[in-house]
Amino acid sequence: MGSAPPLGHAESAKQITPRSRSDVRWVLACAAAALVLVAIGPYLLSDFLVNNLIRGFLYAAVALTVDILWGYTGILTFGQSAFFGIGAYAAGLIFTHAGFTPANAALALGAGIVVAALVAILVGWLSFYPGSSPLYASVVSLVLPIIVSQILYSGGNYTGSSSGLSGFESFDISLQGWFWIAGIFLVIVTSGAWMFVRSDAGRVLIAIRENEARCEYLGINVSRVKILLLLACAVIASIAGYAFACVQMVVAPEYTGFVFGTELVIWVALGGRGTLIGPIIGTLLIDTSTAYLSGNLPYIWKLFIGLAFVIVIVALPRGVGPLIARLFRRRPSSTRSSEIPTLEPATAEPLAGLASAGANAIEVQHVQKSFGSLQVLQGIDFKARHGELLSLVGPNGAGKTTLMRCIGDGGERSGGKILVNDHDIARLPPYACVAFGVGRKFQNANTFDALTVAESLRIARTRLQKPSLVARATSLQMPEGALQVMRATGLDQKLGIEVRHLSHGEKQALELAMVLALEPSVVLLDEPTAGLTKQDRTLIGTILVSLASKNRLCIVLVEHDLDFVREISSRVIVLHQGKIVLDGSVAEVVGSDLVRSIYSGGGTMDGAHA
Amino acid sequence: MTAQLLDIITTAAILFAVSAGLLIIFGVMKIINFAHGGFLTVGGYSALLVTRLGLDPWWSIAFSFVIGFIFGMIIERLVMRPLYSRPLDAILATWGLGIIIGQLITLVFGREVQFVKSPVEGAMNFLDASYSQYRLILVVVSILLALALAAVLNGTRLGLQTRAVIMNENLARGLGINSGLVRFITFSLGAGLASVAGALITPLSSVDPNLGVSWLLSAFMLVMVSGMSLVSLAIACLVLGGAQVLVSTYGNPVLGGLTIVVLAALILRLRPKGFARG
Repeated sequence: MGSAPPLGHAESAKQITPRSRSDVRWVLACAAAALVLVAIGPYLLSDFLVNNLIRGFLYAAVALTVDILWGYTGILTFGQSAFFGIGAYAAGLIFTHAGFTPANAALALGAGIVVAALVAILVGWLSFYPGSSPLYASVVSLVLPIIVSQILYSGGNYTGSSSGLSGFESFDISLQGWFWIAGIFLVIVTSGAWMFVRSDAGRVLIAIRENEARCEYLGINVSRVKILLLLACAVIASIAGYAFACVQMVVAPEYTGFVFGTELVIWVALGGRGTLIGPIIGTLLIDTSTAYLSGNLPYIWKLFIGLAFVIVIVALPRGVGPLIARLFRRRPSSTRSSEIPTLEPATAEPLAGLASAGANAIEVQHVQKSFGSLQVLQGIDFKARHGELLSLVGPNGAGKTTLMRCIGDGGERSGGKILVNDHDIARLPPYACVAFGVGRKFQNANTFDALTVAESLRIARTRLQKPSLVARATSLQMPEGALQVMRATGLDQKLGIEVRHLSHGEKQALELAMVLALEPSVVLLDEPTAGLTKQDRTLIGTILVSLASKNRLCIVLVEHDLDFVREISSRVIVLHQGKIVLDGSVAEVVGSDLVRSIYSGGGTMDGAHA
Repeated sequence: MTAQLLDIITTAAILFAVSAGLLIIFGVMKIINFAHGGFLTVGGYSALLVTRLGLDPWWSIAFSFVIGFIFGMIIERLVMRPLYSRPLDAILATWGLGIIIGQLITLVFGREVQFVKSPVEGAMNFLDASYSQYRLILVVVSILLALALAAVLNGTRLGLQTRAVIMNENLARGLGINSGLVRFITFSLGAGLASVAGALITPLSSVDPNLGVSWLLSAFMLVMVSGMSLVSLAIACLVLGGAQVLVSTYGNPVLGGLTIVVLAALILRLRPKGFARG
């Protein structure tokens, strides 16, 4: 089916020809307004305030990186101070020991960036690996600033130890000039961050925050995304630190330490995580107030910040900023009508990146899986070809879902070998199995609650269509199978609706459409129709049959509804207590006494199971 | 040689005492209590109060436990309860609590370093070495502490319920265990234990409002590598504490201070279960 009929009301948006939509104009307007403020600032404000705001601007740029990592991507980090400190000490050390020259200034900036980047890669490798826990990443982010500041403490005269370095020469720029430089730097970083988080690539960050496992199974190398993100954030923090050292002409270990790292988190939390603007305002307000108040009320002020922080975390987890913003905004609607892309059929590219489909779609050899002494799967052997619709049946606990998991993730099985499209999946993580052609739907609807239907589907296309870092595409290309599922369940009319507002059945259908959007050649479906109406089930069943027969997909289905299995399967495998007990056509299985006795709880196998 | 061995054993004992409260809370609630440092400080100042009142220094153990337990009860009710389903936010809120506790103590006691009276002074001969008597007593105290905790967990009804909550909270609730109460008591107990640890370590050095922070990270990392069990915590304290002593003696003290944190982070990367069995 080459040309899809017009889909949905979004069709009218098509005459606005640009292929992608971005906020350039809006961002430019805001940036221009901010630049005007920065330009006139020094003339209106006292020297004291100007001085404080220079520091505030640089801190805010670092707070912004914390917001991107934590607020958008869900990586709670206490370690951005370390990268700030690396940039600052690069300037401090080089200017102190080699003197200040323009060449050295450039060298220091470059050194700060390179060291910060290398450290970020190391920290990223430590923190982010398939199966790593968010708590562990936070632990590492806590360890990093401690190590950096301890190294500085132990550096003796070379690093100035606890008193740091001061009195080095720096750029001969007036306070006013630094105000402009720091202000422009912040405006540029903020504009860039704004474009990025609202782009298609920025949606991937939210998808990771919402549901990391689903991202992995959509072929996204989550660890790599996080490492690259940390790298970019480290570089920004390092530049801010470099500028800080140049303005203040003093560096001290406190600026690299984890107390500063936690302060950054506090500012972001109070201002409103995941809002970009909130953390900037939070940082500027708190840092400036601290400068004014900490002299008069030193302990009370810090006590007050601590109290405010605890109250916000407990009662207003989204921060104060969004609360204030809500006062000025109308009731938020569940749809984002301006953002609905048009649906288009994709030019099919199944097996993208693979040499060939191979002789067998799946080849499972002697697969074992045990949890401790409990054997869940033992000696599983079978082959499935393209075009087969294979159902796995068996009573609860037979190992059906476990077997699916082993095919979708090389790290799962305890023994044996699995080939997908003739590629050994070895110990590869889920995203690599997706590259071999596997698409897996989970047992319970597994989606991204905070994203819209269209955004979720675009996340599923990330592997095949690289998302833009600055803009949002106005059209969404979907392969035929995914389009059929969406039309059959009416999802094509709900592209702009946030997934959390969908019914259970719609979420199931959406997840199925997302899996098919991967253009897989092996589809693993764990109870894909649970929660759907009888009518929708029949429709989905028909679509699955046609995907298997016409598009030559190998579909592996786990189902409890034996009538459904009988209607659509071309082959059935019966699992019982972790072993294959029967492998044959529908007729063979349905007529089997063995199957009847297993399901009725009789004991022809090895002992009774009630 | 003997002195070094004693250093390792006493360091491990101190680390165990300092980490036990954090472990109990993490085990039951799966929450990292960053106010642990604050509770340690509270214990230190409880000991200071005992000294100021002129009481026998041994009283500081009971006194600090009561104070810490009460702090724990209040905080669990007001702050922790809404955060059970948000573990990362709980880290932040408890860090904020640590700030509040630190500032309150500064307001009341001032920020200067102060000293408390040690229950026992001087050195004693142990095997062929002369060694600080108080540090040796700490080993005994830590062992008693571990035995008492094990007895509570394994010998009482509350302990049984606590272990049930650790293994499977939903199931435990379904069986009629009041997991809210278990959490309440656990948090208060953890705070009390931290406070006792704070009182125990102050005679070794001094008290100041940041007393707890320096210990917090070591305790935190030890708990992360130990999982949920007291036995693996003891092993972790011996191995990592021992490494710290060796690095401090043969390397340099700054590196020694980093040993626990760095080794624990690497252990977790290579073996996410850490010292826990299985």
